[in-house]
Amino acid sequence: MSKHQYAMVMDLNKCLGCQTCTIACKKLWTDRDGTEYMYWNNVETRPGLGYPRQWDRIGGGWKDGALQPSPLPTMDDYGHAWEYNYEQRLYEGKRQPVMPSPEPKSGVNWDEDVGGWNEDENYYFYLPRICNHCTYPACLEACPRKAIYKREEDGIVVIDQDRCQGYRYCIKACPYKKIYFNEVTGKSEKCIFCYPRLEKGQVNACAAQCPGRLRFVGLLDDPESPVHKLVLVHKIALPLFPEKGTQPNVFYVPPFNPPKSDNYGKSILENPRIPLDYLIYLFGPEVKDVLTRLEAELKKAQEGGRSEVLQLLIGRDAETRFHIRPQLVQIQV
Amino acid sequence: MRTRLLMIVGICWLMCTVVLAQAPNTPASLQSLKITTSSASPDNLLKGESTAWNQIAFKHVALNRTPPLFDTDEPAALEIPIVDVRCVHAGDKLFLQLSWRDPTHDAVSLQEVPNTVPETRFRKVQTEENDRFFDAAAVMIPSRTDAGVAPSLQMGDADHPVQIYYWNATRGAMLMEAHGRSTTRRTGQTFPASGVYLNGQWTVTLELPNENQGTLMAFAVWNGGQKDRDGRKYFSVWQVLE
Repeated sequence: MSKHQYAMVMDLNKCLGCQTCTIACKKLWTDRDGTEYMYWNNVETRPGLGYPRQWDRIGGGWKDGALQPSPLPTMDDYGHAWEYNYEQRLYEGKRQPVMPSPEPKSGVNWDEDVGGWNEDENYYFYLPRICNHCTYPACLEACPRKAIYKREEDGIVVIDQDRCQGYRYCIKACPYKKIYFNEVTGKSEKCIFCYPRLEKGQVNACAAQCPGRLRFVGLLDDPESPVHKLVLVHKIALPLFPEKGTQPNVFYVPPFNPPKSDNYGKSILENPRIPLDYLIYLFGPEVKDVLTRLEAELKKAQEGGRSEVLQLLIGRDAETRFHIRPQLVQIQV
Repeated sequence: MRTRLLMIVGICWLMCTVVLAQAPNTPASLQSLKITTSSASPDNLLKGESTAWNQIAFKHVALNRTPPLFDTDEPAALEIPIVDVRCVHAGDKLFLQLSWRDPTHDAVSLQEVPNTVPETRFRKVQTEENDRFFDAAAVMIPSRTDAGVAPSLQMGDADHPVQIYYWNATRGAMLMEAHGRSTTRRTGQTFPASGVYLNGQWTVTLELPNENQGTLMAFAVWNGGQKDRDGRKYFSVWQVLE
């Protein structure tokens, strides 16, 4: 067990789907040969295919203490990287329209904003995803090289690039499909929770850049941290697919959309815009209790009271949202 | 009860018979590998040219399939039971030719990432087929000649490190070291090798530093079509150079 555990909470009610986090991560970590198709952080529309396609349905994780089988996603599932013929159009004088090549047939966020239908009304929301830095990482168990380890000082799960041989058992084992194979290095890679930034007291790049201010970062075991409060005290943030058995350390405040049209004054649970079954599919049955708690907090605020939960979720400044403790998690050498 | 007892006795007798029948008959040729001296040019040998190799006798080396390593592994049949091995001295080098039947050609020829080009380097490639595994072969040799006993077949052991000359149909050749299971390490060095796939058969030629008689060698073949990588592979027992 790690001495401490960094965790992240994402409030899905505030996600704009702007992909600023995705680009912040990409520019910082996956701007190298072999990483073109990789998005350690991605934002997908839900309901939707996800990235890689159907990752939530193909397997991996734990069941009754045993790793579960899964195929490896194909590049068609991730989406091939494409380029535009700007050179020919702008500099070589070829009078062609600017076109992508190869012809895109799928890609990250391919079905953006398509969403689903609930009877006669469309609904969707955005789901930002990074590695969950699980307490019981299936990837770690699957690696025959022991190349994956969970940092004792802060619980961040990383792949030792010297030990990794690119066998990809970890990709199969991860139920969230958040490990990627780099063909150029012949090794697998994943989100490192920006540990070099955390060690310098800086928050993760995705969280720092988020214009929606929906990300909260801190140690789960630090009573002062917003993640501790949101997950363990107020109990309004849940992990994704808890039944996969890995115990993620990324948590989500579930989407709290108003009820469907013509339901003014009704509870969101009476006639929800987002079908409750879908939220239960993503976050487990506890999501109903969380929505009830959130609705009670909202009512309190609407009646003129002060809701600590909503004040925290507003996250006005970085001090509220991030509680980075480099001194606490320093390794004693 | 009596029937069961008889069955157990019967099975034991059968096993003893098989073992006893095999033991005295185990011909030395099953474990030894003859080196021939060739006057062919090293270049022609490395290219696998038939004129250079045809005169050289090969040995059928039996391959075993490793059992499934993980519960989640797909079962795999013994599709490649034999690798044929030829062994030749030429100049101050040792050339090994491994050939085996493989109905699936699991390799991709593709553009290489710039600045990593030389033919024998372990190539950096982007196949855009991240879910595939490629055909490969390897020769394992003990690193120490004074050890006296054969290292563990599972990549040697702490007291008996091994060198592994690994060739991959897509990525090329590289030299690895190991001193036990899961300790395999890329040395960053490469070695000359070539591979040809023709009519459902791989013929792979490796150029190694000269080895003396008595040197032990074990062979491995990975079938990409069976998702082979890591310890999921075919392997031989140790052979002795003669």
